[in-house]
Amino acid sequence: MIAAPGQGLALAHEDQTAAARTRIAVQGLAKRFNASGREFVAVDNVSFEVKQGEFVALLGPSGCGKSTILNMVAGLLPRSGGRILIDEDTVETGKVNPRVGYVFQRDTLFPWRTVEQNIGYGLEIAGLPRTERAGRVAAAVEKAGLSGFAQSFPRMLSGGMRQRVALMRTLILEPEILLMDEPFGALDTHTKLEMHKTLLEIWERERQTVLFVTHDLGEALTLASRIILLSARPGRLKEDFDVAIPRPRDPVAVRETAEFGRLYSHIWHSLGEEFRRTRAD
Amino acid sequence: MSNSRIVILFWQLAILAVVLVVWQWGFEWSKALLPKAYVPKILDPYFVAKPSLIWQSFLRLGCFADTNGFAACITGNDNNLWLATLVTLKNTWWGFLFGSASGIAAGLVLGRSDFLARVFGPYIVALNSIPRIALVPLVILIFGLGDLSKIATAWLVVFFVVFFNTFEGTRAVDRDQIAAARLLGASEFTVLRTVVIPSALAWVFASLLPAVSFALIGVIVGEFIGAERGLGKLIIEAEARANASEMMVAIFVMMFVGILLAIAVRSLQSYLLRWQPQFEASA
Repeated sequence: MIAAPGQGLALAHEDQTAAARTRIAVQGLAKRFNASGREFVAVDNVSFEVKQGEFVALLGPSGCGKSTILNMVAGLLPRSGGRILIDEDTVETGKVNPRVGYVFQRDTLFPWRTVEQNIGYGLEIAGLPRTERAGRVAAAVEKAGLSGFAQSFPRMLSGGMRQRVALMRTLILEPEILLMDEPFGALDTHTKLEMHKTLLEIWERERQTVLFVTHDLGEALTLASRIILLSARPGRLKEDFDVAIPRPRDPVAVRETAEFGRLYSHIWHSLGEEFRRTRAD
Repeated sequence: MSNSRIVILFWQLAILAVVLVVWQWGFEWSKALLPKAYVPKILDPYFVAKPSLIWQSFLRLGCFADTNGFAACITGNDNNLWLATLVTLKNTWWGFLFGSASGIAAGLVLGRSDFLARVFGPYIVALNSIPRIALVPLVILIFGLGDLSKIATAWLVVFFVVFFNTFEGTRAVDRDQIAAARLLGASEFTVLRTVVIPSALAWVFASLLPAVSFALIGVIVGEFIGAERGLGKLIIEAEARANASEMMVAIFVMMFVGILLAIAVRSLQSYLLRWQPQFEASA
C-alpha cells in the first residue's frame, strides 16, 4: 500500500467503498499464447476486484498484458486459467453482457454511418422506435459537444471527435460497467486533456464502474480513484494505490495537487523498474 | 489555366471533329493525293463505313426513313433496331442482376465461413479458369436460341467477377468493427447486415462496373453464336451482307447502352458509398 502522507485520506476512501458491492472479480487469471510453437505467458495469476462506482486504472508498461486482461474481462478473449466474475456471474467468452460497455483504442466507428447513426447504433439494433431514439441520440450528440456534426461521416471528424462519438456510442446504452482499452492513446496531448475533461464530467455525474487500461501515468492519476500497477511481462499484480485527489477534478488543476505529485513520483519509480525489466529482456 | 473545363471540352470536341472528318473524307482525299499503293486500306468505307452512311443506316434501321411510316416499319420487322436494342438490354439487365445477386450471396456466405471457403475454394478456382466464352455453345444447346441462353451466358460471366470481389471484401472487414458491433448487442445476423455488408459494399461495387460491361459482352457473344433477335444478331446479319455501316450502327447503339448502364451503376454507387471520400462531391 501507499506510504505515510496521504494515508488517512486513502483509508477513508477505502472505507467508503468497502460497503459497495463487487462488480468485477478477477481471480488467479492467466493467459498463455502459443507463438510459433513456443508458449509464452502474457498474464500470470492476476487477482483484483472492482467495486461498484470505482474508477480503476490498469497501469503497466507496454506489452504487460493489461489489454489482454481487459479483453478477457469483456469476454472477447478466452482465458487460460483463473476466473472472472461480473456481478457474481462467470464471464463466458463470446457472450455479451448488456450491462458492460467497451471502448476500443482503435477507431472502430462505422465509416458508412453518420455521427448520429453511429451513436444510435446500439439503440437501433435493439429495436427502439425511431422517434424515441432520435431524442436520446440528440442528447448524446449534445453531451459529446458534437452539435452541428450529427450528419457528418466519421472521416470528416478529427481523432478526438471520433473518439467522442465512440464513447457516446457505448454510453448511450447506459452500461453500468465500462471497460476502456487505452481509449485516448492515439490522441495528441491537448485533445487528450479535453477528452479527460469530458470523461470526468460524465463519470462524476453518473459514477459507472470503470476499468480503464492505460500506460500513461498522468492519465491514470487524473481519472482514476484507484490504480492497479502491473509488472512487465508476464503481467502480474505489482501494487495497488488509492488516488485520493478530491472531485470534481479538473484535468489541468489536478496536476498541481500534492497528492498527484506524490503518487506520480512514487509510481514513476515503481513503473521505471518495470520499464528497465522490459528493456533487459 | 489549361486544365479549365472549357479548354478540356475544346480539345475533346476537336479530337471528335478530326476523327469524324478523317473517317468521312480521309479515304477520298488520300486516293486523290497519294499514289495508290500508299492509300491506307483501313479507311476504305467498304470496311469501316463512314459517318454519313452510318447515319443513313441508322435512319433506315431505326424506321425513321420508311415511306410506310414509323409504326408500320416497326411492326413489319421483328428485329428492327429498337426491338433488337430492347432485347439485348433486357437480357443484359437480367444476366447482370442474377449474376451479381448470386455472386454477392455466394461471396458473403463463403467469406463468412472458413469451412465452406476451404471446401469450395478449389472448385471455384477450377471453374473460374474456364474461358467463359467456351461455354456459350453449350449454354445455347441447353437453353435454346431464345433469351434464356443469353441471360445464362451473361450470368456466367458476371457471377465470378462479383463473387471474388465480394469474397475478398467480406474477408477484409475490420475485426474490431465486428467486435464493437457485438459488444453493442448485435447478433450474428445483425453483424452481417449492419457491418459486413456495408463494409464489403465498396469491394462489391468495384466489380459491378466491369460486371455491367461483361454482361453486355456475354449477351452479344451469345447472340453471335445463335439467336433470334438482338443487336448481336443484327451485326451477324449485316456481316452476311457485308454491310459495314449497319454493323457500325449496332456498335454505336451498344456503346450507348453500355454508357447508360455504367452511369446507372455509378450513380447507385456514389449514393451507397457516399461516406467514402472519392464520392463526397456527388453525394
